[in-house]
Amino acid sequence: MSDKKYWQSFAELNNKEEVQKLAQNEFAEDLPFEDLDDKGLFDSKTPRRDFLKYLGFSTAAATLAASCETPVRKAMPYVNRPENVTPGIARYFASTYVQDGDVVPVVVKVRDGRPIKIEGNELYPFTKGGTSARAQASVLDLYDMYRLPHPKRKSGNKFQEIPTFDQLDTQINNALAGLGGAPVVLLTSTVVSPTTKQVISEFLAKYPGSRHVQYDAISYSGLIQANGGKIPAYQFDRAKVIVSLGADFLGTWLSPVEFARQYAVGRKIDEKNVSMSKHYQFESYLSMTGSCADERFTHRPSELGQVALALLGAVGGQAPAVNFADANLRAGIQKVANDLKAHNGAALVVCGSNDPNVQAVVTAINSAIGATIDPAVSLNNRQGIDADMVNLVNQMNAGQVGALFIYGANPVYDYFDADKFKTGLSKVRLSISFNEKLDETTELCQYSVPTHHYLESWGDAEPRTGYICFIQPTINPLFKTRPFQTSLLKWSGNNTDYETYFRNFWMGKVGGQAGFDKVLQDGVLAMSVASPATTTSTANTGGLPAAITAITGGRKGGKTEVILYQNVAMGTGRQGGNPWLLEVPDPVTRSSWDNYAMISTKKAEELGINYKDVDFEYYPDKPIIDITVGNKKVSLPALVIPGMQPDTIAVAVGYGRSENYSKATQGVGKNVYPLARWNGSSIEYANDVNVALAGDTYKVARVQVHNSYDGRTEVVKETSMASFMLHPDAYKEWREELHKDFAPATGDYRKEGTLYGDHVQPGPKWGMSIDMNLCIGCHACVVACHLENNVPVVGKSEVLRYHDMHWLRIDRYFVSDENNPDNLKAVVFQPMLCQHCDNAPCENVCPVAATMHNSEGVNQMAYNRCIGTRYCANNCPYKVRRFNWGDYTGASTHGVLGPSSGVGELDPVVHQMNDELTRMVLNPDVVTRSRGVMEKCSFCVQRTQAGKLQAKMENRPLGGDDVITACAQACPTNAITFSNVNDKTSTVSKIREQNPRRLFYVLEQIHTLPNVSYLAKIRNTQEVIQGEKEGAEHAQQQTHEPVPSEQAPASTEAGH
Amino acid sequence: MALLKYESQVRPPLVVGDKDYHQVTEDICRPVEARPSTLWWIGFIISVLMLLFGVVSVTREVWFGTGQWNLNKTVGWGWDITNFVWWVGIGHAGTLISAILLLFRQGWRTGVNRAAEAMTIFAVMCAGQFPIFHMGRVWNAFFTLPYPNTRGPLWVNFNSPLLWDVFAISTYFTVSLLFWYAGLLPDLATLRDRAKEKWRKMFYGITAFGWTGSTKHWQRHEALSLVLAGLATPLVLSVHTIVSFDFATSVIPGWHTTIFPPYFVAGAIFSGFAMVQTLLLVTRKVLNLQQYITIEHIEVMNKVIVLTGSIVGIAYLTELFMAWYSGVKYEWFAFEQNRVNLSSPYGWSYYIMMGCNVLSPQIFWFRKMRRNLYVTFFMSILVNIGMWFERFVIIVTSLYRDYLPSSWSTYYSPTIWEVGFYIGTFGLFFTCYFLFAKFFPVIAAAEIKHILKKSGDNYKEQMTVVEEESVDQFVHDTAH
Repeated sequence: MSDKKYWQSFAELNNKEEVQKLAQNEFAEDLPFEDLDDKGLFDSKTPRRDFLKYLGFSTAAATLAASCETPVRKAMPYVNRPENVTPGIARYFASTYVQDGDVVPVVVKVRDGRPIKIEGNELYPFTKGGTSARAQASVLDLYDMYRLPHPKRKSGNKFQEIPTFDQLDTQINNALAGLGGAPVVLLTSTVVSPTTKQVISEFLAKYPGSRHVQYDAISYSGLIQANGGKIPAYQFDRAKVIVSLGADFLGTWLSPVEFARQYAVGRKIDEKNVSMSKHYQFESYLSMTGSCADERFTHRPSELGQVALALLGAVGGQAPAVNFADANLRAGIQKVANDLKAHNGAALVVCGSNDPNVQAVVTAINSAIGATIDPAVSLNNRQGIDADMVNLVNQMNAGQVGALFIYGANPVYDYFDADKFKTGLSKVRLSISFNEKLDETTELCQYSVPTHHYLESWGDAEPRTGYICFIQPTINPLFKTRPFQTSLLKWSGNNTDYETYFRNFWMGKVGGQAGFDKVLQDGVLAMSVASPATTTSTANTGGLPAAITAITGGRKGGKTEVILYQNVAMGTGRQGGNPWLLEVPDPVTRSSWDNYAMISTKKAEELGINYKDVDFEYYPDKPIIDITVGNKKVSLPALVIPGMQPDTIAVAVGYGRSENYSKATQGVGKNVYPLARWNGSSIEYANDVNVALAGDTYKVARVQVHNSYDGRTEVVKETSMASFMLHPDAYKEWREELHKDFAPATGDYRKEGTLYGDHVQPGPKWGMSIDMNLCIGCHACVVACHLENNVPVVGKSEVLRYHDMHWLRIDRYFVSDENNPDNLKAVVFQPMLCQHCDNAPCENVCPVAATMHNSEGVNQMAYNRCIGTRYCANNCPYKVRRFNWGDYTGASTHGVLGPSSGVGELDPVVHQMNDELTRMVLNPDVVTRSRGVMEKCSFCVQRTQAGKLQAKMENRPLGGDDVITACAQACPTNAITFSNVNDKTSTVSKIREQNPRRLFYVLEQIHTLPNVSYLAKIRNTQEVIQGEKEGAEHAQQQTHEPVPSEQAPASTEAGH
Repeated sequence: MALLKYESQVRPPLVVGDKDYHQVTEDICRPVEARPSTLWWIGFIISVLMLLFGVVSVTREVWFGTGQWNLNKTVGWGWDITNFVWWVGIGHAGTLISAILLLFRQGWRTGVNRAAEAMTIFAVMCAGQFPIFHMGRVWNAFFTLPYPNTRGPLWVNFNSPLLWDVFAISTYFTVSLLFWYAGLLPDLATLRDRAKEKWRKMFYGITAFGWTGSTKHWQRHEALSLVLAGLATPLVLSVHTIVSFDFATSVIPGWHTTIFPPYFVAGAIFSGFAMVQTLLLVTRKVLNLQQYITIEHIEVMNKVIVLTGSIVGIAYLTELFMAWYSGVKYEWFAFEQNRVNLSSPYGWSYYIMMGCNVLSPQIFWFRKMRRNLYVTFFMSILVNIGMWFERFVIIVTSLYRDYLPSSWSTYYSPTIWEVGFYIGTFGLFFTCYFLFAKFFPVIAAAEIKHILKKSGDNYKEQMTVVEEESVDQFVHDTAH
């Protein structure tokens, strides 16, 4: 413990005798026994009374002690109150989430010393407070019980703890000295930290011949190489035409939060002056970004280069003619090219390929169209070059690497040729892993020196030239871990630790302590940078002819091709053990926990999968298909998805972890990284495969099984730009007509549409607006809701039983061509949460009044009152209420998390979420709900209350936008906004007022009077939806009436 | 009771076999006083085992949560409330027979009313288990009672149909129980008076409440019966009406239907009579009471079944028509896609319902079929299966695909513990019924004596013999 001494007076300090006596006898007043003195009970004056007092007291004490079996929870008061911690008051620290070069500046909410929530940092100009699902979920990784608790050394097959870092340093220094000049290689994922880079270069200088290799699980080396080593700084906000060639730029590609924020600028519709950017997507499978596109064209993964070439030719570049069998694709390329040419200077093409040749062509296209790319800066988000890694693995196998330091990389899991890496690793004399968890690579290293979680660390990131994001610790390290940088400093003979090093580094740059404090407080810093050497996008077009030759002579795809993709929650799998991310359903397939093969309807027919069967839609058992590449075989369940290229199978990476990695991932998913291939210059995440039906089935946990909205235009309103321009008031008129029908006398639908009186809501009235045009389906809000509201994780077995607990979900509907479900017209994302109806059907059916309305327009749940009849959930037209079917949070009286076998047995992940460490992540402002209780979105009532209190303490009226819910805060595109709608100047009030043509309430006709309003989705296409006379009718004709019998699902969607 | 007795000269006797009052007492008390048969033991043990399985199932559900059942975020009610409504429906026949038929002076009711009332009480007991144990936190079930409390006081929500259920069912149960017990008193006194063993004397002595058979007792007894019959009559109609409000007042397509109250009441009587048939056909055979529960009884009840079955059928067709005619596409979808569409996941249940409840009872238009015991027994089972599916169709097929297609899920199959709970209520029902049949007279002996015409007939027959004697013989006889 500390040797500090706390004292209150000089007397105490000098330890005076009386003070000691006083301290021992702190409560000087005696119990009120009369004249007891020391003489014993019976000698006292009034022994009888005292006897009774004793008797009474001891009986009462014994009763109390014996009868009250309130479980004792360990709660220790602070002996010494830490500085800056007031129990119950949250503090916020700016920091930065960095994962594989993906940088999201955040603000961390810390309650009682524990970081519990991540919010976006609004000061960073490129994300403006937006976050991603993974950034939100990262706080749970801090409390992961599977984190490595201390440095270890492998002896035999087992790791043994190294008791002190001094011992570790001695061992490593000896080992490094004993290498005899063999090179030391630092293998890291992309390092975006300037200080870390400097530390690395200092370390490398100490060990000559050493080098630093950056390796990204999903590589961008093609993009980097094609652009002269620098990633162009794309500006989606300035582009009127956005063309993506297989880049999932809203979900996972490069820096999705930043791009989503920019993308939203062009996608937002101002009703007075209707315009929006046009988004074309060429891809092989249905990605989240593709789902948002106005027009999509599909091609085989192997054709990506040709598509780029054709596009280059069509925009007027030098490129050989390419012919595609698919007329749709051919026409599409021409159309896109025309659009690009028409928007010269306001168009952008991005490409997800990792092939430098393809990227060179894209760069040429971009220079031809004057793409919206900021020439002054470049992105640093990814820096790994494939060839470096391949060389390293070869050298390792040749025994030429003395020591390998692995930091933030896990090649044994995610390298395409992991076996070769493993054999190479065994030939390295000294292998040290700095990873936080016992991942697949760390298991095979000789030393494990776990580094801090970012929430425990100091650090910085420079995702974009000149923009620095700072990382500061929000909690003391939970385990005996040490920053990677400190280790490097120690081993290069520098005795300062990284914190001091970091502080010195930045103090010099930002002007001393005051400046340093300021940047830490802001979390971000824009530095004026000297304009870099002109690395505009035209820099590398010199190699274009070679690139064209390479593409035209390149691989021709086989019969069936597989494409590996990242889904928005899991990404590369770096946070693969995170229960929140695993439970997040994929925005497109709506499946959680596993990866699976996405196949087209044609492929399903070819394989003999009867996807048109009703049971196929309704039952989770999906046929397993064997995907074979050479001698590698992966067996995965198949999901039939519309909008797929017919011969392409898409599989998500990031699943199938080792047993030691996490409890959560046990038994779910398969690792498909081995299906990637090396094409001589870069890793290609696509390959020719053979597929066959394995004959078995596997249960896939989906939270939504029906894919079409079946023409229910009261639920979803979406149309094309042309139709909207033609009938701009269609929705408005539909609503007016509805109001007229139900309120013929006054036109006041609210009051006249019901038999009952209207309640006055004089104070604040909370309302939400959701712009379906801006929702990209990224699920950041869903995870944010998980964190903020202690929403339990239920595990795959419970999701399979439709027991998922998400308070906020993103419904996804496919709009397909009737005859050809693969011809997907649109995908609609509709965030769905409690609508906080002012005339709520749930409220009047509860027999015990456990759910009721408050004067602020919020539908509330009194969990303590709830007896769990589920009547409210049945009567909810939106089906947003969630019932605690089991004891997911350990909040129930007897504390049994489900039976140990049989029905209702909970997955290990639920037990993981309830261990002492993981429970640290719980938000103390929100109770955990016990078994048998209904729960649902509360409009973050703890936040609205806090906002009101804040205003009260500051003696000012509550501002319209003073409070924001967790989902609205997390949203990178501002699709969700939240305000006090009684304040006419608040954002939501303004949105409702300014968008009368797109405004709608879900199921308005049943007079539930929701407090959540939606803005209709407009696809920027010129297609006029035929026969459209009235807005209410249009979508029905477009998606046609539901057809009786089981043909209905088959014709409106891809089969399930 | 004589007050209410209606004697029709043209109708056949309601009790056959030349019984006199003593014989009636003997016949009815015999099963109570004799040692239980092997058959009784077998039946009783099976029932108790079923009950125990139910106890295990419910215990598991209470201990581990409602996740022991396969309900889900979309389908919040399934077998639990289906079973509840089904049992409540069954519980309608008894009170109808004892109360409404009493007021309508239907003499034939005396043969079957005791057993039917007992069945009602047991069925309501079974029904009550479901709304109680379907709660996620059953230990807080008392929150549904409007009692003064220290939480504010915090009152129940009088707007909630579920709360109306609490009142309706508890009132119905109380009145039915009182009615049944009041009717039992004279018979219990008979058993007391005949008892030989000490425990029997004590048991029936206590339960008979000091009945002596004095005129004053009879007068009060009949007055009480009338009052209770008057109270119970509206309850027969109100209970299922209120149960139907659980659905009718909601917003879910397929539930939100104004036709539900009459349709539910008719359905309840329908299923109640079917259950009475099932039980009495077995009881009369096993306890050898064919002369009291005659083929006439069976036929009359079959007539009620065909009548109520047809009402139910019309209700089904009306709601189907209205769903289409209303022009509300959500409503029509619930019928067309979720029910009528045979290839939809639950389409089959709609056809089981239609087949069992509407088509099959039509067989009872034929007198021969109405009087055929095998047909009757088979039909009574079929009707109850059909009525179970009616509730299943209403609850599950409405819920599983409601407004938002994103929430459409499937409620696949119940878990073993969900089925176990249902089996357990069968166990409870039959355990009670077996105990009832063993310890109480299954036919209201005192009441049936009112309709026994035989004593008078015997006298008349003897008179006839006297009159037919020749004068000479008479003189001869009397001369000695």
